[in-house]
Amino acid sequence: MSLAFRLGTVAFTMGLMALALYILAAGILGRKIHWKSLGIFFLCAEAVQWITLGISIAMSFMGFNEDVVTSSVFDLVCYTITAVISACLLARAHRLPMLYTMSASVLGTFIANTANSLMVQVVEEYAPLFDRQHFLAFVRLYIPYILTVVVAWLAALIMRKSEFQRYFSAMFRGKGRGWMTLLVCYALMCTMPVLQLIAPDITPDVGYATFFSALIVVGLFLLQFAAMYTAGQDKIRAQEETILQQQAHMALLEELQQEIRAFRHDFTNLFSGLTLQAQEGDLAGIQDFMRRTSSYFDEKLGSEIAQMDGLNNIELYPLRSLLAAKLAKMRQMRVKGVLEALEPVRREQSMDTDDLLRALGILLDNAIEAVPAQNGQVRVVLLQEEKGLYLAVANNYEKTPDLPALARKGYTTKGSGRGTGLSSYRRIVARYRGCASRTYLKDGMFVQELHIPA
Amino acid sequence: MIPVYICDDEPPVRKNLEQIIAGQIMILDSDMGPVRALDAPEDLLKAQKEDSVPAIYFLDIDFPGKMSGLELAQKLRQYDPRGFIVFITAHGDLAFETFRLRLEALDYIVKGDRSAMTQRVQSCLESIRERMQAARPGQGNYCTVKILDTVRHIPIESILYLEAVGYRHTLRLHLDGELLEFNSTLDHFAQQLGEGFWRCHRSFLVNRSRIRSVRLKEQTVELDNGETCLLSRKAKSEYQMA
Repeated sequence: MSLAFRLGTVAFTMGLMALALYILAAGILGRKIHWKSLGIFFLCAEAVQWITLGISIAMSFMGFNEDVVTSSVFDLVCYTITAVISACLLARAHRLPMLYTMSASVLGTFIANTANSLMVQVVEEYAPLFDRQHFLAFVRLYIPYILTVVVAWLAALIMRKSEFQRYFSAMFRGKGRGWMTLLVCYALMCTMPVLQLIAPDITPDVGYATFFSALIVVGLFLLQFAAMYTAGQDKIRAQEETILQQQAHMALLEELQQEIRAFRHDFTNLFSGLTLQAQEGDLAGIQDFMRRTSSYFDEKLGSEIAQMDGLNNIELYPLRSLLAAKLAKMRQMRVKGVLEALEPVRREQSMDTDDLLRALGILLDNAIEAVPAQNGQVRVVLLQEEKGLYLAVANNYEKTPDLPALARKGYTTKGSGRGTGLSSYRRIVARYRGCASRTYLKDGMFVQELHIPA
Repeated sequence: MIPVYICDDEPPVRKNLEQIIAGQIMILDSDMGPVRALDAPEDLLKAQKEDSVPAIYFLDIDFPGKMSGLELAQKLRQYDPRGFIVFITAHGDLAFETFRLRLEALDYIVKGDRSAMTQRVQSCLESIRERMQAARPGQGNYCTVKILDTVRHIPIESILYLEAVGYRHTLRLHLDGELLEFNSTLDHFAQQLGEGFWRCHRSFLVNRSRIRSVRLKEQTVELDNGETCLLSRKAKSEYQMA
């Protein structure tokens, strides 16, 4: 065989493995393939694999005999680097957290390798023997690698259609759980090289490859189970939240009822006075009374009614429950909360509901924390417009906020180690194209605005 | 002269307000006027384009059967982002926060008692005069920023610096007492703002007139409010050459 043919074959197999890896990782993440990043990844992976191959050849020339230990280590390093590259590219292309894409890439590597080794074994088992070497290479290398890509593509398609990423993303709810998932995926990726390390005498065969395939199936089942469990927990939490929201609503209604009772009492008293004045024909007195009482009702009940109107206008229920809960918290803390939603806030927003809730939650929490102990005020404005949703949270303050410092990472008034709220708010907002935020001081209020395009 | 518009569909309120406003302008002796009272929002939108901006608008909060005061104000804002909007309302419980924050409305006047209305009009006009005098010195140079469909004209001298933030194409605009974050590129602004701004780093564009000192040793640029920007090696040599 000519050298060119050998090199070409090696490059071809490497390229196909990279392709399979990327397709699988994208499938796990449930995204369509981003062709530009795939191209970049293809070139990078090819380069990395050539470099590792070059180093290992150079080392064997320099006198290190190529034993199993070094080859396993080389494999591992090579897998890790390619996984990191693909994770970076996927994170950039789809704007996903790095931890998430990294796990997907590592898992993708594992699945691609397993599928590949299975294919190689199967083809080896069933391929007839030839003495023509080119043809042999074709059968032994080209077919299994092409099959690997086909399998990867099919698997990715199935995962995308079955919305596998929903289960997968459930594993990244918490930071700890996310790292755990990454660790497990990485361990899975390492099994093959490590097995080689522990038991170098075992020659891979079909049974060996099948074992790994079985491992994947078991893993998928476990993942599914874990995801279903989390979904159940989520449901319970959502129900608890609804109950809390209803309680807050009930409290508001009760308060309103009491106000009305007091108002009725006042009103009868006032009117009996008025009747007396009318009987006496005291016109000036009546006019005076009218002036004093015309805004009485609004003063007494206006804010509660306005708050309920605002809440009723929010058709996006999770958002409504968040606001109801925060307003209840404000009432509890004797902070005057004002909510205005003049137009119905639509159920479909371009921002993911979870992200919207987190972003608004951060703004509200910050506002509630910053208000002075006496006469604290938080005003929330939601305005649905044709071109998008406008959000504003304003609060008064004890100490004037230092705007330049707010821009710095991790700024907080609560001592070190905290103050991640604002930076995670920024991270969430930055993920969405067209979102704009504004922070300013106006008439003694600290205002945070957010525009979300429709 | 700054035109003053009144838009309300109830003739008595309109007439009443017109008298009050004209009287107060006389007392204040400022360059406001002429006062024009209109009954339909469409007429106001037409009239606005025929005269100069910024202008002062007294708007009813709703016109039964026609567009709402909110909608009208949004349309007026599109053409006159720096105008002054005051709402007229029958109820004191008006959801004013929305108008104040979203439309930068100045105040609202509750219909009814004439002396209370006069007082409110007076305080509105006084604050408008104050704001205009404050804005006077640097008039002329504005930087236009479009966020969704809202156009903002930011006085150049209030800009400290622009910063490209790590996230994709997110720009942070540092103004006096304000931070603005949106999708754009520094290159775009470097072009729009021209010579008055200095690209002292790949991700910083500073207003030259706001620089207090350039610290070559620490590789930073200090601004007149004490904030600092990074100084790149390239910009450093540029600075030393000049």
